[in-house]
Amino acid sequence: MELTKTKGYKKVKAWLKADKKKPFKFQEDAWQHYADGYSGLVNAPTGFGKTYSLFLAVVIDALNQPKAKGKKEKDRLQLIWITPLRSLAKDLARAMRQTLLELELDWMVGVRNGDTSQAEKLQQKKSMPEILLITPESIHLLLAQKNSSTLFKNLKCIVADEWHELLGSKRGVLVELALSRIKGLQKQANNEVLRVWGISATIGNIEEAMQVLTPNAESKRIIIKADLEKKIEIKSILPDDIETLPWSGHLGLKLAYKLLPIIEKSKTTLIFINTRGQTEMWYQHLLNLEPELAGQLAIHHGSIDFELRNWIEDALHTGQLKAVIATSSLDLGVDFKPVDTVVQVGSPKGVARFLQRAGRSGHSPYETSKIYFLPTHALELVEAAAIKEAAKNLDIESREPVIMVFDTLIQYLVTLAIGDGFDDKIIYEEIKNTHAFNMILPEEWDWVMRFITYGGESLTAYPEFKKVEKDEEDGLWKVKSRQLAMRHRLHIGTIVSDAMLKVKFLSGGYIGMVEEYFLSRLKPGDNFRLAGRVLEFVQVKDMTVIVRLSKKKNAISPSWLGGRLPLSSNLGAVLRKKYNEALDENQQDEELKIMRPLFQLQEKRSHVPKNDELLIELINNREGFHLFAYPFEGRLVHEVLAALVAYRLSKLLPITFSIAMNDYGFELLSDIEIPMDDSIAYDVFSPKNLTQDITLSINSTEMARRKFRDIACISGLVFQGYPGKYVANKHLQSSAGLFFNVFSDFDKHNLLLRQAYDEVFYQQLEEPRLVAALERIQKSNIIITHPNSFTPLSFPIKVDSLRESMSSEALEERIARMKADSDRKLEGS
Amino acid sequence: MTINSHGEELILDQERAIYLPKNKLLAISDLHLGKSAHFRQAGVPVPATVAQQDLSRLDAILQKYKPNTLLINGDMFHHGLNTDIDEFHQWRRKYQQTNFLLVKGNHDRLANADYASMDIEIHEPSFCVGPFCFIHDAPKCTEEELYPISGHIHPGVTIVGRAKQRLKFPCFYFGKDYAVMPAFSVFTGLYNIKPKKEEQAYAVTKESVVKI
Repeated sequence: MELTKTKGYKKVKAWLKADKKKPFKFQEDAWQHYADGYSGLVNAPTGFGKTYSLFLAVVIDALNQPKAKGKKEKDRLQLIWITPLRSLAKDLARAMRQTLLELELDWMVGVRNGDTSQAEKLQQKKSMPEILLITPESIHLLLAQKNSSTLFKNLKCIVADEWHELLGSKRGVLVELALSRIKGLQKQANNEVLRVWGISATIGNIEEAMQVLTPNAESKRIIIKADLEKKIEIKSILPDDIETLPWSGHLGLKLAYKLLPIIEKSKTTLIFINTRGQTEMWYQHLLNLEPELAGQLAIHHGSIDFELRNWIEDALHTGQLKAVIATSSLDLGVDFKPVDTVVQVGSPKGVARFLQRAGRSGHSPYETSKIYFLPTHALELVEAAAIKEAAKNLDIESREPVIMVFDTLIQYLVTLAIGDGFDDKIIYEEIKNTHAFNMILPEEWDWVMRFITYGGESLTAYPEFKKVEKDEEDGLWKVKSRQLAMRHRLHIGTIVSDAMLKVKFLSGGYIGMVEEYFLSRLKPGDNFRLAGRVLEFVQVKDMTVIVRLSKKKNAISPSWLGGRLPLSSNLGAVLRKKYNEALDENQQDEELKIMRPLFQLQEKRSHVPKNDELLIELINNREGFHLFAYPFEGRLVHEVLAALVAYRLSKLLPITFSIAMNDYGFELLSDIEIPMDDSIAYDVFSPKNLTQDITLSINSTEMARRKFRDIACISGLVFQGYPGKYVANKHLQSSAGLFFNVFSDFDKHNLLLRQAYDEVFYQQLEEPRLVAALERIQKSNIIITHPNSFTPLSFPIKVDSLRESMSSEALEERIARMKADSDRKLEGS
Repeated sequence: MTINSHGEELILDQERAIYLPKNKLLAISDLHLGKSAHFRQAGVPVPATVAQQDLSRLDAILQKYKPNTLLINGDMFHHGLNTDIDEFHQWRRKYQQTNFLLVKGNHDRLANADYASMDIEIHEPSFCVGPFCFIHDAPKCTEEELYPISGHIHPGVTIVGRAKQRLKFPCFYFGKDYAVMPAFSVFTGLYNIKPKKEEQAYAVTKESVVKI
């Protein structure tokens, strides 16, 4: 069909022209392919109207259809728009409604996510809007409703917005599963009209991103790439001399004063900080430095109350705010027109994320995005230089899609079972066609079915186990217990956080949320900071934290767990290259120039590793015997690598290690001397017997156990409760760690247990990346130095608090020696 | 490990039990029978081997000490009657010569007839022997002259060594005012306690009991 001749196209074109706009080529391409029945992926830089490439495609199609029939039907749904963040939905809906009004298309736009009111959800249940903006979790909540199967009968299109954000996580798998079901329902109804499209920023594996979304290789699918370039200007905020910056830490408050003139001369500045706790500290610090900013500075993060976040977003639109301090909660999507400057505090750890954040400023086409980088410790300046280079070469990371996550599959099946029920043969075929479960074996599927129906192996079927049962009337698998269904609904989703409590003023009004763990350390009368305010803790009532405004100026900030990002491998490689150039008098990077005194100190005390070298530092002090090694492969890989090296060393003699790591390297600390020379070094970093040694080293550390924490929550083994809404049954409380022990001891073939190990093996350590690293090290010169004190490279690892342990000693002997040590200490004191 | 407390000899067993040789009394606490089946009833798959293992560990120490009395210091049953408890009922018949005493804990809410049918003698709130008062939750003890031995909190202790080494174990705690026993069941978590200098804690490893 020639799209340009249609009524709908002409109408849209005329509407754009009235506004003096012209569609970009990629937009017209998308419209044409959509009209021709294609699915696919749109890839364009921010600010060029990616949204309109697909939204208008659906609108043109609708304008070309004969007038829709009756209005009250439940199956009016035409377009589902999946957004990863709740904050995106509201603004998108506003823009869509405006467009529909001007194009005189009589469609409703609805929003459904965690912030949607109960009344609105009920209204939607009665009569669905034509367009629904939704999060991946909320689609699954829709599937968990009775009679949900009919909702998707006439659905024409599902768009996964910001697909690159979802792709590498279990939330992406939620999207894949929902798509497989909706397609399956249309197939059963003999009405296959659904087209699936993704919108993605540039990532390393864009082809794969499309294949995950539209797994059927025979279907009509295409990638539409905008031939447009976004200009980005990156500037580091440099200290006057390197002594100003600490060797370690993550605050960087010392350079904060340099932000004031930047905020001053910009219209609106977005300041990105990596964790929620730090945003609170920065807010306080900037206000102390410049009291004039009061009322023009705000904080935005995921633990701040919905209403408050809404207000901040509105104020951003209207330009009332001079600056907003945000976490990744403002990473994506929405165009805040007044924002013309972005500041990144601390390393963004990846090129793609950095470019994404830069794109938050200068949102109009052809405008330059401006981003400042503010280092929080000295070594981050090298990362700044590396990021600049990687951004220049567009060396952008891939997002590896997640596969074979049985926890998510189990959750999905129970979701279907509390909705309309499911036929296991049909669902098996559907999930087998998704990218995530393409490799599932029949026996694994059987195991999953037994797990949710019998509670384990069928040989030891437990009569009392009640979860999913077969409905004798229609032969579908269903959950009968209302209580179980309710509990499951509250736990749909794959983002696991600590139990959260809502924070509310004594006089009314919500402020946000804190973790239960943080609260457990507070006494009434203690002060803490949230949403930029100092609050006095009064009491906990009905799962809500009651507070009043405090007169105190300063207080502790809550720490929210999670949020520490590992360095990407792309950036690691560039970083190694930068160290290569560090001592070169002629190199041009301003960051490296200012760093030179620090590198000279590193060289004096130890050595600055070159691209083809692996540096090992052995330091002996009162704490014990330290071994530091610097492969520059990112924290996650170092965690596995450190365990591997520790394991191999522990085979040489009975020894116990405590292990720490950061993005640059790792530390092994022991109370006895660590055997190390050239030949031992090449042996312990060897790729020989790798698979076996890694398995054994993962077994003897806590890595798999930590992964299991999320798995236990997602698969419904552990109930966490829900902020302010739900108190878990006390006698059903248990911890993921306990389940890990029980399954390890009594149910070794448990697939959830296997998944925990697989997640370490395939996702965390990315085995090919580890093999590549070890092979690189084998070809490198291993340099062993014996510094007298900590070096600029080792110090940040030493103070890092994340620690593992590994031992080949008998437990009783360890206890005896630890006791002897502490006795000595007592006598000495 | 044999210790002396208030002039009496106590054997602390690594299977998380205390034996009083003079009284031929074996004490355990927090057995939580039926917990795994209770989880299964709520749709959480926990292997029944958990409960079976607890019973076979109990077999082992009953055969080792051959006590006249087995005292369960509270939280013997996790919730209601279920298949785990049916199995216990069967198992109980092997030890008709042994007297089973239950000091009631916060979880023990079965009907009196149910306890009677399983041949379990109920004591509320405590059972006193020699200088000791066995009670589920120590602060509730009103016997001022006696030394309370309690359970309830599932105590654990962390040992910290040189070079940032840490180890965590279930433990026996013998403080100035009262003692706490570790939970017998393997399907329980740990609550970390920090003994003061003059107080004793005994870590329970797989092989032995070690004084900290």
